[in-house]
Amino acid sequence: MNNKKTNRGKILLSLVSLTLGFILAFSYSLSQQRSAEQVDLITFNQTEEVREQLIQQKERNKELSEELQAVQTKIREYEQQAGSNTSSLEELVKTAEALRLLTGEVAVKGPGYKVELQDGEYDPNQVNPNDYIVHEGHVYMVINELKIAGAEAISVNGKRIHETSYIRCTGPVITVDGETFPAPFVIEAIGNPETLADAAELSGGILDQLRTEQIRIETQKLSELVMQSMHSGS
Amino acid sequence: MWLPLLGLLLGIVLGFMTDFQIPAAYENYLSIAVLAALDTLFGGIRAQLQQVYDDKVFVSGFFFNIALAAALAFLGVHLGVDLYLAAIFAFGVRLFQNIAVIRRILLSRFAEKNVSTK
Repeated sequence: MNNKKTNRGKILLSLVSLTLGFILAFSYSLSQQRSAEQVDLITFNQTEEVREQLIQQKERNKELSEELQAVQTKIREYEQQAGSNTSSLEELVKTAEALRLLTGEVAVKGPGYKVELQDGEYDPNQVNPNDYIVHEGHVYMVINELKIAGAEAISVNGKRIHETSYIRCTGPVITVDGETFPAPFVIEAIGNPETLADAAELSGGILDQLRTEQIRIETQKLSELVMQSMHSGS
Repeated sequence: MWLPLLGLLLGIVLGFMTDFQIPAAYENYLSIAVLAALDTLFGGIRAQLQQVYDDKVFVSGFFFNIALAAALAFLGVHLGVDLYLAAIFAFGVRLFQNIAVIRRILLSRFAEKNVSTK
């Protein structure tokens, strides 16, 4: 009788401890989840904040570059006024204008030459893709060749190249002055189209060399080409 | 002795394996239930030490307290009154009292033993 009673007590006690264990474990795992969600929320808020700052900074940059452009337009106006006053200054103003074209401070319009470099067609499973894509070195070579041939202004995918420009390889894309561009790379140059084309197409010259490196090339002589100032855009 | 322990382990495992979400508004019930369960457990231990333990009282108290606390919290949520605070308060006070009694009993037993061995 007594034995039976303690047995029943044990079973009941087991039931109680089962429930207790279940409740404790369940609420523990639940609170773990909640705190994990809170951490997620915090990082999300931080990301949002940083993004906000970035947007503000970009807007500020845009404002400043617009301001810079406005100020430069003003300077040119002043110079032209000064130039019309005195004939000796006229020469200097012209020189300044020409130099500005070269340094990329003002927008340029004129005849030019366009080279488009496109990655070669390949099967990435069979060959090394590195042998078939356009590298930043190829872009350098074309730019240098065009400069030597007398190009007055050069841009890569619409980004004006100036004396402190840089081009960097960033994986499958290239970075020009902090902006990334994917292939195809369109290199435009303002200058005498015939001269530029002849220089580029010289047999054994730059374009021949690139063709042997599996790069697809399209060229075009243009009677009119417009190029932005280096300050425009982002 | 091993059966209740086994039950506890099984319960913990089940609790960790259970993977359903409950809405944040109902989390109060769970905390109340935890408190009620702990309170009854310590009450049971105290009763055992005072030799007034009765498993019917213990088991019925365990489940009834949990249900009552959850019902109180439920009512509180629907009335907009934080009634679960009452449950937390009551159970909290009782928990401390029970533990205090357990401590005293154990202390006095320890002291008796020391005297008798001297």
